[in-house]
Amino acid sequence: MSKFAISVHRLTKTYGEGDLAVHAVRNVNLTVEPGEVVLIMGPSGSGKTTLLLMLGAMLRPTSGSILINGIDLATTPERQLPSLRAHHLGFIFQDFNLLSALTAIENVELACNLAGITGAKAADRAIELLQHMGLGERLHFRPDQLSGGEKQRVAIARALANRPTLVLADEPTANLDSSHGREIARLLRQLAHEQHCSIVMVSHDERLREISDRTLWLEDGAFRDLETMATDPICAMSVQPGDATPHYQHSGTDYWFCSTACREEFTADSKKYLRRATE
Amino acid sequence: MGRISIARKNLFQDRRRATLSIAGVSAALVLILVLDGIFAGAMQQVTAYIRSSPADVFVAQRDVTTMHMTTSALAPSLVDEVRAIDGVDWADGLHYTTSSVDVGNNSLLTYVLGYDTATGRGGPRNLASGQPPTDGQALVDSVAAGELGVDIGDKVNILGYPFVISGLSTDGTYIANTTVFITSDDFAALRGPTYAYILVGAQVGMSPEDLQQRLAIAMPDTTVMTRTEFAKQEANVVRTMAADVMAIMSVIGFLIALALVGLTLFTATVAKQREYGIIKAIGAGRGRLTIIVLAQATWTIILALALAIILTSLIGVAIDALTPNLIVVIELGSIARTTISAFVVGAISSVLPLRRISRIDPSTSFRMA
Repeated sequence: MSKFAISVHRLTKTYGEGDLAVHAVRNVNLTVEPGEVVLIMGPSGSGKTTLLLMLGAMLRPTSGSILINGIDLATTPERQLPSLRAHHLGFIFQDFNLLSALTAIENVELACNLAGITGAKAADRAIELLQHMGLGERLHFRPDQLSGGEKQRVAIARALANRPTLVLADEPTANLDSSHGREIARLLRQLAHEQHCSIVMVSHDERLREISDRTLWLEDGAFRDLETMATDPICAMSVQPGDATPHYQHSGTDYWFCSTACREEFTADSKKYLRRATE
Repeated sequence: MGRISIARKNLFQDRRRATLSIAGVSAALVLILVLDGIFAGAMQQVTAYIRSSPADVFVAQRDVTTMHMTTSALAPSLVDEVRAIDGVDWADGLHYTTSSVDVGNNSLLTYVLGYDTATGRGGPRNLASGQPPTDGQALVDSVAAGELGVDIGDKVNILGYPFVISGLSTDGTYIANTTVFITSDDFAALRGPTYAYILVGAQVGMSPEDLQQRLAIAMPDTTVMTRTEFAKQEANVVRTMAADVMAIMSVIGFLIALALVGLTLFTATVAKQREYGIIKAIGAGRGRLTIIVLAQATWTIILALALAIILTSLIGVAIDALTPNLIVVIELGSIARTTISAFVVGAISSVLPLRRISRIDPSTSFRMA
């Protein structure tokens, strides 16, 4: 058995063929240790969602392997994937994605049921998790009776219901205000340690870097080294310096931009941005 | 081992829509059940005279097996021949024809039965009021009398001659016609002495079947049937006549139910399409999703069926009260047939939603905002 919660090797996803081929993810390698929280960031269209879908056994890679508990998701037959998701993975979605007809406890129980836990055991597990999330008074509330933060806590409880090896979170704080976002971030950190499950998050939310053990930058379908990344002085986005990256040199200093639009804005009034950068 | 019933929760989340759907499906099932009930009621009415007859065996002209839509003629002397056969306790001739009973411009189609009032054996099932007829008198069914606006002592025309109403009988008016009774002598005077049927009673210890066989051998030029068989043949001829109409109406009811159940399930599926994607994403396989859709169909069908049975019973009571010549009989067989049809409808209706769900990509649950 691998010492890693998940081990990804040379993972590639290509849409289309020939000249029309789009390489969404290219030869990605990734290992996550049990209890580790990994944040994957990157610009839109960088391949984050494609990678997350492949890690979640919802998208078949073009090549490479994804090992979870010794099972290679890339080669597992299609019909076995739902059961695999139900038993080994937890999902936290941007839109919470609770089932509107079910109460908080029923949403969590459903995940237990799918993992083979039924009856009183499922109810006990759901109550335990929801109480742990501070939702002991909201067990029988439907999603439309809960706040955004409460919904996301129910979603986290649901993700943990099957005691997953790995929780995949897609923009878990995107639809929350800043205080609820921080609260959820802290909760994820705490749960990863307490439940000893690994969390891989995809997000644009810089606040999540604080609670992550590791932050990876994905761009053009491949991980970049954050140490060598530059920051766009206009939009503050991390960019990989290179021949294809918009660039401007001023007083011997190199500035890198996410786009030519940012570069043009910078060059139009560079003094303003340089002053701001030194403040 | 309890599992969360997503099907039931989803179906009843929007109670107004669920109620309308169930009511709609129920209405289609009511159509089938009421038609079946009216048909069963008509069968019961049409065969009531035969079933309530004291005769164990009926003798008719050869190849005549019913009263409805037939003419039978037997020589009067045949009655004595029947009486002479071993095992026969009694035998009475029965005159019968179809005609109309008229009062002024009002007219009703009727069976005219001429019977021996001394024994009363070919007479009405029940006498509601008045007396059995004597010469020049007739018994008219109480429902027909109501429709014609006549009562005991009034005159009606039967077979073209005036008769005074001596009494009112019951259970003799059906959807299409009524029944009047006159004396055997009056009938013979107007239409000749020929009998249509001979009613035969078996001696104690002789079964109707044995007597029927014995009479059939003794009188090869006649048709001899037990009372049960005769009633069955009578029902069959009416059933055959109404079969096409019943089949068409049942198919219409079936199609309406199919459309409504299909629409209910399909809209319920489309409305929850996003959530089915989520359920798939968190690990539900095809089997689990199939169970959800089929459970929704089952819930819809069971509730619609229960409501339909209650509504049909109420409609039956209302029909009985408003139209006395029509009765609605809900038979267990009819409920069983409708239940099977309803579940077939549910199964067929589930096909489209199941196809829809099978095509939902679980990855759509990501980034759906």
